[in-house]
Amino acid sequence: MSITAETAKEHANDPAVLCCRAEAGITIGAENLEDPAIFDDLVDSGLLNLDGCLTIGQVLGATLTKTCDSLAAITADVVDGVKAAPAVTAPAAEEPAVPAEVPAPAVSAASNGGVLKIHIGKGEDIDIELPLGIAGGSTAVPAAAQAAVTAAAEVDQEPVVVRSLTRKHFNITEVKRGPETKIEGSTLYIREGIEAECVNDQELVTDLKLEIIAPENYHTYSETIMDIQPIAAKEGDDELGSGVTRVLDGVVVMVTGTDANGVQIGEFGSSEGYLDENIMWGRPGCPEKGEIFIKTQVTIKEGTNMERPGPLAAHTATDIITQEIREVIKQLDESMVTDTETFDQVRRPGKKKIVIVKEIMGQGAMHDNLILPVEPVGILGGKPNVDLGNVPVSVSPLEVLDGCIHALTCIGPASKEMSRHYWREPLVLEALHDEEVDLCGVIFVGSPQINAEKFYVSKRVGMMVEMLGVDGAFVTTEGFGNNHIDFASHHEQIGMRGIPVVGMSFCAVQGALVVGNKYMTAMVDNNKSESGIENEVLGCNTLCHEDAIRALAMLKSEMGGEDVKTSEKKWNPNVKSTNVELVSNVTGKPVELVENEQSLPMSQKRKEKYD
Amino acid sequence: MKYGDKIIRMEGVIVEVHDGSVAIDLKGRLGYLKIPMRMLITDYPLLVGQEVAWNMSFVEQLGPEPNEKYISNLDIEKRRQEEMRAQNQKNKEV
Repeated sequence: MSITAETAKEHANDPAVLCCRAEAGITIGAENLEDPAIFDDLVDSGLLNLDGCLTIGQVLGATLTKTCDSLAAITADVVDGVKAAPAVTAPAAEEPAVPAEVPAPAVSAASNGGVLKIHIGKGEDIDIELPLGIAGGSTAVPAAAQAAVTAAAEVDQEPVVVRSLTRKHFNITEVKRGPETKIEGSTLYIREGIEAECVNDQELVTDLKLEIIAPENYHTYSETIMDIQPIAAKEGDDELGSGVTRVLDGVVVMVTGTDANGVQIGEFGSSEGYLDENIMWGRPGCPEKGEIFIKTQVTIKEGTNMERPGPLAAHTATDIITQEIREVIKQLDESMVTDTETFDQVRRPGKKKIVIVKEIMGQGAMHDNLILPVEPVGILGGKPNVDLGNVPVSVSPLEVLDGCIHALTCIGPASKEMSRHYWREPLVLEALHDEEVDLCGVIFVGSPQINAEKFYVSKRVGMMVEMLGVDGAFVTTEGFGNNHIDFASHHEQIGMRGIPVVGMSFCAVQGALVVGNKYMTAMVDNNKSESGIENEVLGCNTLCHEDAIRALAMLKSEMGGEDVKTSEKKWNPNVKSTNVELVSNVTGKPVELVENEQSLPMSQKRKEKYD
Repeated sequence: MKYGDKIIRMEGVIVEVHDGSVAIDLKGRLGYLKIPMRMLITDYPLLVGQEVAWNMSFVEQLGPEPNEKYISNLDIEKRRQEEMRAQNQKNKEV
């Protein structure tokens, strides 16, 4: 395939290779040259050798002195009239005095995987099939240096506090069963026999076991963990996302379950097994080491584990227990508050306005979320995004942090964003507290199953972002699979409106993107696992603080007009570490990296096999 | 993997459609695959009998040693499933 003059201009510094046989004496033009986008695969498969190859910029207009076959690299000995090599633009040295930001590692989106068929009719009638750039899950290199991001043109205006959310913490050190649900000192009692009410409430639930797991019992077998939830309640008539929320520290609710025949709910890549080997402690969505788990093991009617009502019934049954605890929390005496936190939703007029688009699962059972329940991470009042048609729903950052998402998703454990993840969402927290940007809100958009619906909702995202008139946007998604199709489409819809966009997803090796477009240039990979795979460890590859910092730095760079370097062809974990180092060098603050599955107890054998 | 780069086009037929997953029979009696919705790219509403295709290679062993963790999980799961099935059966009879 020959290229156009425009493509040739874009690729002036890329190798010049003939696309078809060319006779000696011709003047080389764009129509004689092959598209450099496919060279990586050709070189990999040994069909192309680029040693000594001149660049497209050098050979355009030169005369070919020797007849060459197709896919021959043009070297200095076969052409006349080569232009001097353009000076290689060296990356500008970092100006130490300037507070610069560096883009973080990125994940490339190569063109859709296809097959290039070349038919050579002459001679022996040879057919060659070549892979055409497989979808890239590789990581991008940062632009080496940057100018300061905050544009001088920005006018300083007073920040405006739109609303505030206060979290009052109550400490729990022990959980016991008792005749009634109550909190005495730091002991939480859960009423004996509450299980029967949970079972009776839900037609699909046939059994519910309640277990209290203290840290000394972490080495316990558990069914697939469906969700981790904070135990929190609104004070008085306060609405979710503002006013006061009371939360219990040191204890979380854990939902697990199977159907009546013992088949796990969400039977794919389940994280059943010993709790201490399967949980990545301290991830935003996971328990902290030392917390007590109130674990329900819900049994639902056989065969309903893959149908939408099944997982919802398991969550609803569990919420009856949580709701009873919430009622108790509401009555607690003010003197028992151990800590108070206040989150202000601050708008910073004059600063770069940004929005966070969070793509959530919406394909059906195990791929659903309840949006905006009455109580934090409750059930009542929440609307399933599948029923809402997966259309974008706008929420305030404080609503996110106040548990506006009850996650019913039961997808791959390592990349699943559990309910607690939203409660501690690192990107929302980072963007909210960053004084250089003006976070205007968060948009949740579901990921429907059918492509036509994916593009339908994605176009709505584009329109919504256009109306907001933002200077930059984040697009994040959990897990991987067909949700990457809408993920790519969101980038396109936002990018085509001239708005810089940074994407965040688990990609690495296993979650490599299946599609891409020219707007997917700035990407942050949420991978933490050693080998870049879904390692079945709960929460391992979810968005963490370190990813939020890199993404924010990258978006600021883009909004400041900097380019993010193209990704490497294959996933390379070193890119992330290099970028983290660059970020900490220029901000003067070390970026603490979280541990991965290697820190968990596991047999030597597993270590050898798995990672 | 020794043969990781050999990609073959496989075809199959959708034999089960659930809210959260589909099951696929590989054509030519080559196996059965059950996958969550997000691993399937769909342009049309899903129906039993629709044909699908994908690229894959052969499955290779990574080594001779079984992983104790998975054996233990499988044992527990099998035992529990038997118990639960028996219980479920008993509940139905009552």
